Amino acid sequence: MEDQLNALRMEAEQAVSAAKDVAELDAAETKYLGRKGELTNVLKQLAAVKAEDRPRLGSLANEIKRRVEASVAARRKEMEATHLGAIAEAERVDVTEPGTRPPEGHLHVVTTAINEITDTFEKIGFVRTRYPEVDWDFYAFEGLNMPADHPARDEWETFFMDAPVSDKGKMVLTPHTSNSQVRELERGEFPVRMINIAKCYRRQSDATHVPMFHQFEGLYVDKDVSVAHLRGVLDYFAQSFFGPDRKTRLRPFHFRFTEPSFEIDISCGVCGGSGVTLDKQKCRVCKRGWLELGGAGMVHPNVLKAGGVDPEKYTGFAFGWGVERTYMMKEGLKVDDIRVLYRNDLRFLQQF
Amino acid sequence: MNSLVSFDWLREYVKLTETPEEFARRISLSGPAVEKIVPLHGDLDGIVVGKIKEINPHPNADKLRVVMVDIGRETPAQIVCGGINLEPHQWVAVATVGSKVRWHGQGDLVTMELAELRGVKSEGMICAANEIGLGDAFPMEDRMILDLGREFGWTRGLLKPGSPVADVLGGASDVAMDIEVPSNRVDAMGMVGMAREASAILNRPFTWNEPKLPVVARRAVSLRVTISAKKQCPRYMAAKIEGVKVGPSPWWMKRRLMSAGLRPINNLVDISNYVMLELAQPTHIFDASTVVGGIDVRLARQGEKIMALDGKTYDLDDTVLLIADDEKPIAVAGVMGGEHTGVNVNTTDVIIECATFDPVVIRRGARRLNLQSDAQLRFEKGLSTAALPEAMARTIKLVREIAGGKIAGPIADVGETKYEPLSFSVTTDEVNGLIGVEIPKKEMVERLRRLGFKVGLKGKTIHAVVPWWRDHDIESGRDLVEEIARIEGYANIPGKIPFGLGPRPMDPELVWERRARDISKGAGLTETYTYSFVSSDLLAKAGYDASKMLRVQNPLTAEFEFMRTTLLPSLLQVAAENTERASDIRLFEVANVYYPRKGDLPDEQLELGALFMGMGEPWRVAKGYVEHLLGEMGLADVSWRRLSTDSFWHPGRTVQAFHKGALVATVGEVSPKVAAAFKLGPVALVDIPLEAVVPHAKTAKAFAPVSTFPDAKRDLAIIVDWRVEFDDVARAISRTSPLITNVEWFDTYRGANLPEEKKSLAMHLTFSSPDRTLESTEVDGLMEKISLGLKEEYKAEMRG
Repeated sequence: MEDQLNALRMEAEQAVSAAKDVAELDAAETKYLGRKGELTNVLKQLAAVKAEDRPRLGSLANEIKRRVEASVAARRKEMEATHLGAIAEAERVDVTEPGTRPPEGHLHVVTTAINEITDTFEKIGFVRTRYPEVDWDFYAFEGLNMPADHPARDEWETFFMDAPVSDKGKMVLTPHTSNSQVRELERGEFPVRMINIAKCYRRQSDATHVPMFHQFEGLYVDKDVSVAHLRGVLDYFAQSFFGPDRKTRLRPFHFRFTEPSFEIDISCGVCGGSGVTLDKQKCRVCKRGWLELGGAGMVHPNVLKAGGVDPEKYTGFAFGWGVERTYMMKEGLKVDDIRVLYRNDLRFLQQF
Repeated sequence: MNSLVSFDWLREYVKLTETPEEFARRISLSGPAVEKIVPLHGDLDGIVVGKIKEINPHPNADKLRVVMVDIGRETPAQIVCGGINLEPHQWVAVATVGSKVRWHGQGDLVTMELAELRGVKSEGMICAANEIGLGDAFPMEDRMILDLGREFGWTRGLLKPGSPVADVLGGASDVAMDIEVPSNRVDAMGMVGMAREASAILNRPFTWNEPKLPVVARRAVSLRVTISAKKQCPRYMAAKIEGVKVGPSPWWMKRRLMSAGLRPINNLVDISNYVMLELAQPTHIFDASTVVGGIDVRLARQGEKIMALDGKTYDLDDTVLLIADDEKPIAVAGVMGGEHTGVNVNTTDVIIECATFDPVVIRRGARRLNLQSDAQLRFEKGLSTAALPEAMARTIKLVREIAGGKIAGPIADVGETKYEPLSFSVTTDEVNGLIGVEIPKKEMVERLRRLGFKVGLKGKTIHAVVPWWRDHDIESGRDLVEEIARIEGYANIPGKIPFGLGPRPMDPELVWERRARDISKGAGLTETYTYSFVSSDLLAKAGYDASKMLRVQNPLTAEFEFMRTTLLPSLLQVAAENTERASDIRLFEVANVYYPRKGDLPDEQLELGALFMGMGEPWRVAKGYVEHLLGEMGLADVSWRRLSTDSFWHPGRTVQAFHKGALVATVGEVSPKVAAAFKLGPVALVDIPLEAVVPHAKTAKAFAPVSTFPDAKRDLAIIVDWRVEFDDVARAISRTSPLITNVEWFDTYRGANLPEEKKSLAMHLTFSSPDRTLESTEVDGLMEKISLGLKEEYKAEMRG
């Protein structure tokens, strides 16, 4: 019986190593190790041998079974490896080819900018509003403390509509979003916390100007509003929008509808506000470390009056900046000619 | 308004200890913003004073000389030079080896090297003025060298062989600051005004001495001056000076003019410019011998002409203010003098004009003539009538010092002469409340005084009398707050964020506008931004009538003339412009359109437009986009109706969507005629009036429980007349039984194997019940019922 077992082992191992594919291996496994396999048959005969030989033969038989099983497993692993290798070759694709993408749309830069500006101000309780883009002179100029002979009211600065004059003056294409100031004040809801974003129009078209552009106008009016509040809001905006390391400064300036008025500068993101680049050259992006962000100021008492608000009781601040310009300062988008934003060349639009 | 300020010049009127850098940083925080600091002198290293010892002929060249020049060394330098005005003992500027010059005043700077010119060694160059950046100061003919002795004889002490030319010129370390002056502060456009500003901000002594008008004995010669246009010219002063000598200005004046970016012309013109730079009050000096009779300030007459100093002739009308004599215009008031009355080399008697003009007439006149000048730039900001005596006195003083001459007769002074200063009040509480920090009362008063206000304090009320040089920009007590605050700067004001809630929720239209954009981007469309105003050409191409739109009265060009009532022509134009580079185009835009209303502002309606081109059947892609968009906006119940009566749209390929009776979208191909006008093939467009959609839009979704029993699916293909529409068929099928839960189109076919008038329509049908599994026989029964119904209603044949 011992000989029989050893012979069986050799036979089984030969069959395993001779198996050319998984099917032959499966067959060999069934033939020797299966429930009706030859090794099982031999084991069944163990009952017939002498009792003192039984443990030795029993363990030998088990030992042989283990070994054959191990050979089958090893051979199977070997075959799988060969098989995968074959698949790798047969089913290989060029994985560097691009994937099939879902349709990819593109938002215009101005939309992205408007969304970010809206979100930034929404967080500190400023609600976005919408007011007319074609409005009366009263809202665009007169109510903003701009006298009739103010240069902005000349016909080479502002677009006028070919329409009858009303008791609120001529019909104009709003040259700024500031027409929203008096309109919002007229609602009489306090505190006023407004961010108005709209199209604006000016009679200009060159590399740095477009006849239609966008502005965002902030207005905050309440009791006891001071320059400190303006400063707080502008610092908040600058740091949320441009990054926490940016600084602002207020410089005295002149606008008709605010007093005091400021120009807001933000430290340059390219040279870090030093005005000098790493290679010791003068920074070409900024003016001595600062970039002009836009104008702001404390709402002029005459503007409050025009909106039916008592300037003795209420004070406020306002600012109105160009959306395109502000966003380009953020992204460091160096657009040589701003008109490209409105030329709608798909090669440009689809980069955003 | 930018102004170039020489730091040295400024320091003549205010005692400063700061470096230009420190000065710039500090003053920028209080008003005048220093944008740039540039050195005034080019690189003059190695350019030295030389004295010519000998001039010898060049052995190999007729036009060259071999010059021995003493440049302070033991042995003179040997220089080959082609200058035609070389003289022995002449003082010259020598560019030594290693220095940088600009050959003949052109091209880049080149470094001097030891050279051999036609076989003779040369250790540098004797410079022409334009080779060392002095071309404007000393205009000379070609091949003439700069004669330092002639131009700088008065600095004799500095003319030493070998000493730097920079020292002779003076101000070697001077810089020009490019300062942005706020537009209402024309006074600070003058050097004296800027010094006054600096003195107040930095609290340093202001050292300008105001010149006084000379007292003139009454003599027979008097100037007749009248003002016909009193509103446009509140005050006019004129003085006649006899016996002046016209010539070049002294170097110090030239240097200062150049530092401000002006080119020296002759001493009289230069003086006028100099006083303008100093005091921001323009003056005009003209040749007295050309004036016939008296001087009048009047509006021009229709048809009058003037040849201005720029050599061009201008046609005038009554919007233009003139200075005229009895016969002709002398000058366009405040803008530019006339060519014929200008000062020239033969002039001996001049009239100095110093006047105040209405800023609006100056601005509009200059604009009307398309003529700009430094004087006009100042006048149109508004100048004080009280500025005249000082500017006149300063001009007379400089003319007499530099050009000689005597005052002939009394100085004419017509118009407003009694000056009433403005005054305003503000309380200290107002100041502190508005600024947000506490400033001591005394400090407030002190700051205003430094700025030239006469200040009285009564309790908490500050009463300030405005100095004349600020009488155009200080308009109310509120302006005093700014003056008090800005002197200190705003750097020390701590920021406070006014936290709180928004006064109301955002307008749903704004909310949905943003979502519609995001949905469209997600659907693969590219967003455009086109101009709200369009040309009548574009509208005509698209078949729209421009006369029904609001027109811009003063358009920039005809391209931007009509306020559009639709986005679609603009989108077609964008497609046409991109068609060469892209075959499949999907665009969208969201913008207001403007419907005119009688007697009111236009109705601004928010519209979404989209365009699809390429991609097989563009109308199908467009419709799919609309279905998707309306679905995402929560409009579940939409019915579609064919549109075939609008000439803009394709009569057979356009459909409109309605929700609760309201039109919410038009989608289809544009009419072939319009497409052809834009040179486009089939293009599908979408027009969605967001105003009609938004009231129904919602994010909340209704849901029906999902049946736990399996669906049964069957396909159905029928042959019907090709005009029979799927939507009707689908409705008919659905009506058959509530167990039919979905009818999904998947194919329409016309062509081979089918009669001409027929089409095959194929659909997937879904059957399901919420409470049981449908038996196959039951579904078969329903299919039978469906086909019977379709046979009856549409004469449909079932396909195998």
